[in-house]
Amino acid sequence: MRQPKIIVVGGGLAGLMTTIRVAEAGIPVDLFSIVPVKRSHSVCAQGGINAAKNQKGEGDTVDKHFDDTIYGGDFLANQPLVKRMCEAAPGIIDLLDRMGVMFNRTPEGLLDYRRFGGTLYHRTAFAGATTGQQLLYALDEQVRRHESEGKVKKFEGATFLSAVIDKGGVCRGICAMDLRSMEVKTYAADALVFATGGNGAIFGRSTNSVVCTGSSQAALFQQGVDYANGEFIQVHPTAIPGEDKLRLMSESARGEGGRVWVPRSPADKRAPRSIPEAQRFYFLEEWYPKYGNLVPRDIATRAIHRIVYQEKLGIDGQPAVYLDVTHIPRETLDRKLEGILEIYEKFCGVDPRVEPMKVFPAMHYTMGGIWVNAEDQATNVPGIYAAGECEYQYHGANRLGANSLVSCIFGGGIAGPAAVKYAKNLEKGAESTPSAVFDAERKRQEEKNQKLISQDGSENPITLWRELGDVMTEHVTVTRINKNLEMADAKIRVLQERSKKINLSDRAKWSNQTLNFARELENMMVLARVITLGALARNESRGAHYKPDFPERDDANWLKTTRAKWVNNDIQLTYEPVDISLIKPRPRRYDAAK
Amino acid sequence: MAETKQVIVSVKRQAGPKEGARWEEFSLRWRPSMNVIICLRDIAENPVTRGGQKTTPISYDSNCLEEICGSCAMLINGRARMACSALVDQLEQPIRIAPMSKFPLVRDLAVDRQFMFESLKRVKAWIPIDGTYNLGEGPRVSPEIQEKGYPLSNCISCGNCLEVCPQVNEHNQFVGAAIISQVRLFNMHPTGAMNKSERLAALMGPGGIQECANAQNCVHACPKGIPLTESIAEVNRDAWKQALLGWLAG
Amino acid sequence: MSSTTTQPDTSYLLRKLHSFTGLLPVGAFLAEHFWSNSSALVSRAKYDATSQELQTIPFRLIVEWGGIFLPMLFHGGYGIYIWLRGKSNVSAYPWVGNWLYVTQRYTGLIAFAYIGWHLYTERWLTHGTSTYESVAMDMQNPWYLTFFVVGVLASSFHLGVGIWNFLCKWGLAATVRAQQAAGQFGALVGVAFSVVGILIILSFRFDWHPFSAYLPPTK
Repeated sequence: MRQPKIIVVGGGLAGLMTTIRVAEAGIPVDLFSIVPVKRSHSVCAQGGINAAKNQKGEGDTVDKHFDDTIYGGDFLANQPLVKRMCEAAPGIIDLLDRMGVMFNRTPEGLLDYRRFGGTLYHRTAFAGATTGQQLLYALDEQVRRHESEGKVKKFEGATFLSAVIDKGGVCRGICAMDLRSMEVKTYAADALVFATGGNGAIFGRSTNSVVCTGSSQAALFQQGVDYANGEFIQVHPTAIPGEDKLRLMSESARGEGGRVWVPRSPADKRAPRSIPEAQRFYFLEEWYPKYGNLVPRDIATRAIHRIVYQEKLGIDGQPAVYLDVTHIPRETLDRKLEGILEIYEKFCGVDPRVEPMKVFPAMHYTMGGIWVNAEDQATNVPGIYAAGECEYQYHGANRLGANSLVSCIFGGGIAGPAAVKYAKNLEKGAESTPSAVFDAERKRQEEKNQKLISQDGSENPITLWRELGDVMTEHVTVTRINKNLEMADAKIRVLQERSKKINLSDRAKWSNQTLNFARELENMMVLARVITLGALARNESRGAHYKPDFPERDDANWLKTTRAKWVNNDIQLTYEPVDISLIKPRPRRYDAAK
Repeated sequence: MAETKQVIVSVKRQAGPKEGARWEEFSLRWRPSMNVIICLRDIAENPVTRGGQKTTPISYDSNCLEEICGSCAMLINGRARMACSALVDQLEQPIRIAPMSKFPLVRDLAVDRQFMFESLKRVKAWIPIDGTYNLGEGPRVSPEIQEKGYPLSNCISCGNCLEVCPQVNEHNQFVGAAIISQVRLFNMHPTGAMNKSERLAALMGPGGIQECANAQNCVHACPKGIPLTESIAEVNRDAWKQALLGWLAG
Repeated sequence: MSSTTTQPDTSYLLRKLHSFTGLLPVGAFLAEHFWSNSSALVSRAKYDATSQELQTIPFRLIVEWGGIFLPMLFHGGYGIYIWLRGKSNVSAYPWVGNWLYVTQRYTGLIAFAYIGWHLYTERWLTHGTSTYESVAMDMQNPWYLTFFVVGVLASSFHLGVGIWNFLCKWGLAATVRAQQAAGQFGALVGVAFSVVGILIILSFRFDWHPFSAYLPPTK
C-alpha cells in the first residue's frame, strides 16, 4: 500500500498540534519552520486560553462561550465551526493539562481560571503570564517525542517559498530554502498544512515576532489560494513603542488608575513631570467623561490615533502618548503592577514609577487569513490546508482575548486528520507526479534568488519595509478613510516598483538573511495590498474595522466574507455570505449589556 | 541644537564556520531606548563601517524581541545575554558583539544550538501521554508543585547557561544546566515521574550531571531567573540515590 | 544509549567517587592529621608520643595505603583530569562561585604537590619515625617554612570549598538558602583548619607550646 506523506509548514501551536495528530495517525510528517519550533511566536501569548469549564460554578456554558466569540467578532465568523471549537475547548484544556502544562492551580489541585475581556465568566485557564509559552512548549515536547521515535522529521531553519502544484491544480509538495546553505529544494507530499501565523511585520512594527511576515500566505495567495477578510486586524491600544518591536503593556495599568495624556502644545519639549497639570491634555477623560481612561480597547486605540495623526499631538512629534502611573503610590504599583512595570523598565531603561510611560497602539493579531472551508480547514486548492492565525475562520471581525490559543490548537487538531484522510484517499500520490513539475518550481525559485543576488540596485530592503510599515500603520490600522486607503495602495505599488531595484549588499550564498528578507518583503507588499483593498471596499464599521465615514455596521450590504483571489497577476475581491445559522446578528455595543 | 550622539559598535564577523574572523566597527545614530537588535538593524539598513567601507549586513538570530523566544543570545561586551534586552545606554562603548563561543558558528553572530534540543530528546523531556484523544482531565497538581515547576518551565533554551559554564567546552559533552533543570521539571510532574529513572539514567551517562563542577555561573547568566543551581542539586540527589539503590536493590 | 537502562556509566561513578574521596577519607584524614599534630601545641613529648602511637597502629601499611595514599592519589589524579576538561572563564564572568571554581583547581594542585612532598620527607625519608626534633629542624629553613604555610593554607581552602561543593553536588544543600549555609559552613571549616595549621607550624618554628599549662606540673 502507498505510504502517504504530509508536510506541515510552521511550528507554532497550530503547526505542532497538526504534526502531533498526523504522527498519531501513523503518517510520516515533515515539519518546516523558519526558526527552531520552540522559538515560534506562540510563546508571546500571555493571558490564557478560554474554555467554558464552569469551574467556578458561575453557570458558564459552551453556548455562552460561543455567543461571546460570535458577538465579540461582530458576527462576521461562520458560526458552526466556531461552535465546534467552543465545544472542543474544555477537552483541549484537559489535553494540555495531561501534557504537563504548569497551569495555575486551585488549593484542590484543579486548574484555576480567570476572567478576561469580553466575558462575564472565569473562563480563562492560565500559566502565570506566559500561557502561550507554556502551551507551545507542551506541544513542542510531544513533537520532540514523536521526532525521537522517527515519526516526525524537522526542517528547522528552512523557509517555505512556494507550493508545488501540478497541471491539474493539485498540490504535490513544497519548494523550500535552507536558510544556511541557501539551497532551494522541493519536497514531495500528498498534503500540506500551513500554520504560518500572523502578518504583523507588514505593519512594520507590531507586537508580533520577526518571522510573522505573512510571506507564506502571500506566496500561496499568488499561487491561487484564496485569502479571506484580510482587512481585519486587531490593534492593541497600549504597547511600549520600540524601534524594533512594540511590546504589550497590559490594560491593567489603566485598570489601576493609570492616566493617558499628551502635552497640549505639540511644541512642548519639557520633561513630562515638569509639565503643569493645566497644560496636559487628558484626552480620554475629556472626550469620554463617563469611562475616562477605561474606555474599551478599540475606542482607546482610535482616540490615540486621532491625537497622533489628526491632531498631531504625539509626544515630540512621535507616535506616542503618555500612560502615567506616577501619581499612584509606589507600594500600590509594586504590589499590583510590578511585573508589567518591570518589562517597561527592562526594555526602556526608564522607571515608570518615576516617569510616565510612552505607549502607542500596536498591530497585534491577524483575524483574516487563508480562506478555508467550513468543515476541515481545507483551502480552495486540493491538498492544501491551513490552521491557526494564518487562516481566517474563527474570530470574525475581532478576536476575543484568550481565544487565539484555543483556535490554534483546535484548528491544528482538525487540519491534521483532514490532511491524513485526504492523502489516504488520493488515487495517485505525489510519488507519481512527474519530476519535471518539481524541477520547474525549483528553477523558478532559484531564478528569483539569482536575480535578487546579482541585481545592482539602489534600494535597501529594510528601508522599503520601514516605509511600508509606516504607510500601513498610519492608514490601514485603526481609522480607515477611503481617500487615505487609496493613497496607501498607491504608495504600496510605488514600493513594489522600487523593490525591483533592491540591492542586497550581500551576495553570499551562505546564511544570507538579507536575501530571504527581500523575498519576504516582496510577499508582504502583496498581502499589504490585499489588506488595504479589502479595507477600502468595505464601506461600514465592523469589529476592528472602523471607518468614520461609515460609522455603523451595515449587515444589509456587508454581512459577508471578503474573499480575495489572485487573478491575472492581480488582486480580485469577491464576497460570500457568512453562515449565521445559529445566532442571529444583533447590535454590538460596549456601553450596555449585550 | 544638540549634536547627534553616536553609538560605536564593534562586531565580530565571520563569513562561515571555516572562514577567518575579523572585527568591524560601526558608528550609529543614537536614539532613546536603543538596544543591540536596533543596532544590528541599523547596520543592515546601511552596511558601511565606521571607516566608510562597504560591508554586508550581519547575520544573527532573533525572533520575539521580548526575551521569551530565546533566539538572540550573543556575547555583548564579553557577556552572554539576550540582544533584545541589552540596552545601549547601559553598555560601555564601543559595544563589542560576538557570537556565542560554545556552539558551532553559522555566520557572524548566528550559531547552531541544536545540541540543546538533542539533549532534550536524550533526557526524554516530555510527559508520556497516551494520545491526544479525549482522556479526561490530567492528574491533580498541588499549587505548591505548580509554583516550583512554573519557573522551570520558563526555560527558553537560549543557551546562556551553557555559554558561561566552564565545564561546557570542546573536551566534553556536558548537557548543561538548562537540560538538568528540565529533568527536574518533568520528574516532579505526576505523569512525568513515570519516566523519572530513565531521565536520571540519561543524566548519569556521558556528558551528564557529573560534569557539573558547581561554578554556579549558570544561575547568574539565566535571563529568566530560573533556580538552576537548585535544580542541579535536587537532580543530583535523585541521581545518586537511584544509582545506589539500583546497585543495592537491583 | 539504551532507553531502559537505569544505571550510571563509569564517568559518573568516577566523578562521584572523586567527590566522595575528597571528603572521606582524604578530608577526614586531614582532620585527623591536624588533630594529631596539634599535640605539638602541648609539648614536644606529647607530639612524640602521639607520633609514636600512630607509628605503631596495627595493619599500618594497609591502613596507610588503602585509607590514605591510594584515595589521595586518586582524588588528586582524577582532579587534574577534571581540571583539564574544564575551561576557566573567570575574567569574563568574575562571580564568586566562578572564582572558587578556579581557586579550587589551583589550591588542589598545590595541596597535592605539598602533601606528596610532605609525605616524602616526613614519612618516607624518616621511615615513618618523624619526631618533634626533626620537624622543628626542618622548619628553620625559610623555604621549607614557606612551603609548609602555603601548603597548609591551600589544603584548608581546598577542603572548605570542597565541603561546600560536596553538599551542593550531592543535593544535601539544594535551596539557595541551604547552599548559602553550606558555603558558610565550608568557609568556617577552611578558616578553622588554616588557623590550627598555622598554629602547629608556629609551634615547631618557635618551640612554642601554648597548651603546656595542661600538663601536670613537673617536679
